[in-house]
Amino acid sequence: MSVSQAISPMAKASPDSPVAEWILLDSLNAKVALKGKVNVYTLAHTWTLVREKQDAWLLQSQGKNPILTFDASQVTSLDGSGFAFLIDVEEAQKTAGGQFVVTGLDPRYQPLLKEFDPIANLFPPPVVKPKRSFVVSTGMATQNFLDDAAGLITFTGHLSADLVWSLRNPARVRWGDFVNAAVQAGIAALPIVGLVAFLIGVILSFQSAIGMQQFGAISFVGPLVSLGIFRELGPLITAILLAGRSSAAFAAEIGTMTVNNEVDALVTGGLSPIRFLIVPRVLAGILVTPILTLFADIVSVFSSALTLIIYGVPMVNFYNGMVQVVAIEDVMSGLVKATLFGVVVSAVGCLRGMQTGTGAAAVGISATRAVVSSIVLIVLVDGIFAFISYKTGF
Amino acid sequence: MTSTPAIEVKNLTVGYGSNILLQNLNFTVSSGEIFVILGGSGCGKSSLLSNLNGLHQPLAGDVLIEGQNITTAVGAERQKIMTSFGMMYQQGALFGSMNLLDNVTLFMEEYTQLTQAQMQLLARCKLDLVGLLPYESYMPNEISGGMQKRAAIARAMALDPKILFLDEPSAGLDPITSADLDSTILDLSKNLGFTFVVVSHELASIYAIADKVIMLDKQTKGIIAEGDPKVLRDTSKDPRVHQFFNRIMSKEVA
Repeated sequence: MSVSQAISPMAKASPDSPVAEWILLDSLNAKVALKGKVNVYTLAHTWTLVREKQDAWLLQSQGKNPILTFDASQVTSLDGSGFAFLIDVEEAQKTAGGQFVVTGLDPRYQPLLKEFDPIANLFPPPVVKPKRSFVVSTGMATQNFLDDAAGLITFTGHLSADLVWSLRNPARVRWGDFVNAAVQAGIAALPIVGLVAFLIGVILSFQSAIGMQQFGAISFVGPLVSLGIFRELGPLITAILLAGRSSAAFAAEIGTMTVNNEVDALVTGGLSPIRFLIVPRVLAGILVTPILTLFADIVSVFSSALTLIIYGVPMVNFYNGMVQVVAIEDVMSGLVKATLFGVVVSAVGCLRGMQTGTGAAAVGISATRAVVSSIVLIVLVDGIFAFISYKTGF
Repeated sequence: MTSTPAIEVKNLTVGYGSNILLQNLNFTVSSGEIFVILGGSGCGKSSLLSNLNGLHQPLAGDVLIEGQNITTAVGAERQKIMTSFGMMYQQGALFGSMNLLDNVTLFMEEYTQLTQAQMQLLARCKLDLVGLLPYESYMPNEISGGMQKRAAIARAMALDPKILFLDEPSAGLDPITSADLDSTILDLSKNLGFTFVVVSHELASIYAIADKVIMLDKQTKGIIAEGDPKVLRDTSKDPRVHQFFNRIMSKEVA
């Protein structure tokens, strides 16, 4: 609104009389008189008005060869919109089979007007987008899904090969990038992971305590919550936070590089983008996720212990209960899972970045896809892991 | 032409923070003129342009667009000055999520009261002028870099502003397209009275279109030559200017 207000003085700068006038001479002769300063602001409503009158007149005089004179002798200045107006009137006249005569147009405007010939090109038939049937769109969606799955499998293969390569040639891994990624995904994520872990610990203890209190089992809340945190929630919270933070960041960073042809430059220079860009980031993910998970575990358990003081459970009781129930295998199980999550989160972020299309919007789409795919895969990996734990007891 | 110059630059200092690129520039662009800014890479041509069009605030000095000071204007006043010129960026800077036609009509939708069909016709005229009419429904990423530049010029002309800033319009264009573009610029300037401020390196194009050039220099941080390019080429005593206009390698001068 403010913008149009800012411009309105310009529009009002024109004299009160419109820049174009429709003059009906007789039933088969009419004139459009253009005058004054013709520009995109002064033409605004006049254009529509003149064209409406012209259409009505053309309808009446159909098939009788009506003649329209376009008189531009009173024009003081004309710009592109004036030409467009003239062309619009001319095209309407020609389509209806009438004649069109331009008089009084300053010769300096002639060369520019010629540039638009033939004017029929300026009126292309409206494009009708073919509608896809349900079957076609379902088929295309399935195809996309299969392509995506195939891409994921191929990528997993390439990445595994290059990770093995990095173990064999540790000196050639780009450790500078690794450190940057580890700092960004790891140290910079400490505050948010800490905060969320603390609150989850509090919430979990409160919720469990409410139920357990009814059975007089408040002393079991500590062991229950700690076991849950170490085995499941610690890794999960950390991984989901990293999916939102680092996976999206990797996707956006590599996506922008893809858009700017930086990835192409690597490929044409004979370097593997996976080795160059993705291996350092995945290694960083492998390093930081278990560390962040351990941090989240500790913060969460501590906040749970603090909460249970409210229910009269001293910290020492909490500790003793926890030590009895939580074995070192439970902690390790959580950390192994966290490492897998770390691989998933960083690799998927990088993959989506590499799959970026062109344009600024594509980077945003990649970041979104990275987060969504990461979370889906985290849950999938978690499910598989739960099944393995159940079978093996780890 | 009119008594008010299209652009008047007074004691302008261009730079970023403590890094001063150009100092105490004074020049005037007359209305209807094709004004070309020259200079080697990195001498601050594009930065100067972004100071002229109000994108960045100059470190010191004033820029008057048709008599109105853009460096001090705010709010609606500034908005009004901003619509009096069009800008084409070096990389085109088209909106990637819109096709070419929508790119051109965008500013019309905001600033004019034309109907959709009228805006589209107007936009098609602009695209026709730069030779892109058959590509109106293409997305920017589906056309070549040179075409993106031309589409960007069409977008800059959307509201028929009196002043057009073009940042290296012919760089990266083939000779034929470049010559066509030159002739369109000449047409618009001579027949419709558009004022052009062009940053360019293309000597052929400069000789073809420029009414007046200024040449900037990195060392002196100022204007080292001003005037008609052909006259400068033939008469300038300054070795830097002579070298530039005659395309002489650095080695030969040293």
